[in-house]
Amino acid sequence: MKLLIIEDEVTLNKTMTGFLTAAGYLCETVSNFNDAVDKIDLYEYDCIVLDIMLPGGSGLELLQYLKTNKKNDGVIIISAKDSLDDKITGLQLGADDYLTKPFHLPELSMRVAAIIRRKKMDGQNVLNINNWLLLDTIAQKVTIQQHEIELTQKEYQLLLFFVVNKNRVLSKSAIAQHLWGDDMDLADHYDFIYTHIKNLRKKILSAGGEDCIRSIYGAGYKMQVD
Amino acid sequence: MKSFAAYQRFNTWVAIVIFLLGSLAFYGVLQYVLISQLNDSLKAEKQEISDYVKQYHQLPVIQNTKHQWIIIDSNLTVLPKYKFRTISVYNNAEQEMREVRQLQFILHVGSRQYLVQVNKSQAETEDLLQLIAILAFGMIALLLILNYFVNRKLVNKLFKPFQQTITAIREYKIGQSQPLQLPDSHVTEIHVLNNSLNEMSQRIYTEYRSLKSFTENAAHEMQTPLAVIRSSIESMIQQNNLDETGIQQLIAIDDNMQKLIKLHQSLLLLAKIENNQFALNEIVALDQLIQSKCDEKKSFIETRQLKLQLQLIPVQVLFHRQLTDILINNLLNNAIRYTHEKGEISVILSKEKLMICNTSFQGSLDATKVFKRFYRPMQQTEGTGLGLAIVHEICRLAEWPVHYIFEKNEHRFIIQFFKTVAK
Repeated sequence: MKLLIIEDEVTLNKTMTGFLTAAGYLCETVSNFNDAVDKIDLYEYDCIVLDIMLPGGSGLELLQYLKTNKKNDGVIIISAKDSLDDKITGLQLGADDYLTKPFHLPELSMRVAAIIRRKKMDGQNVLNINNWLLLDTIAQKVTIQQHEIELTQKEYQLLLFFVVNKNRVLSKSAIAQHLWGDDMDLADHYDFIYTHIKNLRKKILSAGGEDCIRSIYGAGYKMQVD
Repeated sequence: MKSFAAYQRFNTWVAIVIFLLGSLAFYGVLQYVLISQLNDSLKAEKQEISDYVKQYHQLPVIQNTKHQWIIIDSNLTVLPKYKFRTISVYNNAEQEMREVRQLQFILHVGSRQYLVQVNKSQAETEDLLQLIAILAFGMIALLLILNYFVNRKLVNKLFKPFQQTITAIREYKIGQSQPLQLPDSHVTEIHVLNNSLNEMSQRIYTEYRSLKSFTENAAHEMQTPLAVIRSSIESMIQQNNLDETGIQQLIAIDDNMQKLIKLHQSLLLLAKIENNQFALNEIVALDQLIQSKCDEKKSFIETRQLKLQLQLIPVQVLFHRQLTDILINNLLNNAIRYTHEKGEISVILSKEKLMICNTSFQGSLDATKVFKRFYRPMQQTEGTGLGLAIVHEICRLAEWPVHYIFEKNEHRFIIQFFKTVAK
């Protein structure tokens, strides 16, 4: 899977590249408008991570460029602007998703994976963890050791988040943000995450799955699989 | 009192006093002149009598008329002390007292002495004076009345640009897209006033714009560093060589960053609301919005074993979807967060108002401070302390009065709608 990361902030560019590379993507990076145009002309990417404010031009212009040249690359906008108008404009110009800075890296990874799954219509919508856990993202079904298990909506979202970010430490705040968005304060306060993870683990174990979700010093969680 | 009324009152009194004094002086002068004329004609009469006596050495035959008569007294006992005087005499024909001017003198005819009194009626003089007085008062009255109407019309005309300026200032809102532009006037005062106001408005406008763009820029510029910090922390957490303390310190940084982000977003939202950066033209179905919000938060409500009561009827308002969403969200989140376990939350929506109540054992909050920024009762540390301030600002923008009361052991937040959209 090939990604193009277009971000002029060097550190942010590096950390995103690092995180996404570790997630198994092949990442190329540019930090200005013209380099981005060159790369887009030459190669095809599964997903482009696009910052709106770039030296040399706007990310929205780049979207327009992709559209006029009939490029089919997936695009996720990462923007400092939390304005609904920008979001709507971006999505109308053909972006697949919009993420406001500051965001959690696992969230970015999750969104990128979703875009790629949607773009590739070749049945790659079943995520497989060492053949014992299968997660069908279209039917939203989870099978453990060939047995389908019943999960609530939140538990399913939580499991998908873990599976996409396997072997990564997910902080509680990243999980809360992913599951509850703006209501995460409420979740945070009553340790909702703990309850949900406890239930999820129980369901996986009782279906014969591995106990793969670990607590990391009470600060976060990690799905440890080989 | 209007300045015109004050001016008018002063003006009227001055005019009355001047006219009264003037009339009195005029009266005095006129009387003096008329009396002198009378005196002169009396003297002429005296001269005639004296001349007659000199020539014929006997008293003349006196022909008395209605207006002039002469009395000659031969029994002179006392010498007269005056020459001219005015006396009141009863007039039989007209049956009233009349003023009479009298001249008396001593007449020597041969060896005899006579006292002669020449009388002339003052009635004509009095009539004249009376006429003049009436005329003077009539003129005062006429002048005052005319003065009043002319002034009123004139002042109204003069004050028109002033009134226009006042109206323009009243209607001007600071968030408007351009500074105040008052028309020029050929009246100096209005010209100076309008120009000064235009200049002041231009200054305020410029400062407001720069402050606004500062807020916007600051907000946007802060997002990127925050994103860098967050992604760096998350990259570090992934490293296997961190021990418990290391990870927990990183998480502590991230948690506080989260608070900072939330605070920053709330302040930015407040700034945007204050800057009127939202177009308020969306029809929002309040009942549907509340229902879906409550469904979203169902798990939190259930976990805390809260009892949620909804009394909703279909109500639509013309406002802004996202802002209404934030408004309902903040009120509901507060209710969920601060209600004790197994407490009750009720949401009652009618055409006139929305009431969100939750039971409490804590007693009333300070109703005067509850919508203030960073107001936190009972040393609560979670939350930004901006939730209700945002509610207040949103309601202010929507022109919905919002109140907090504590009744029947319930915190009650009441939002009133003046106008809802009919279906």
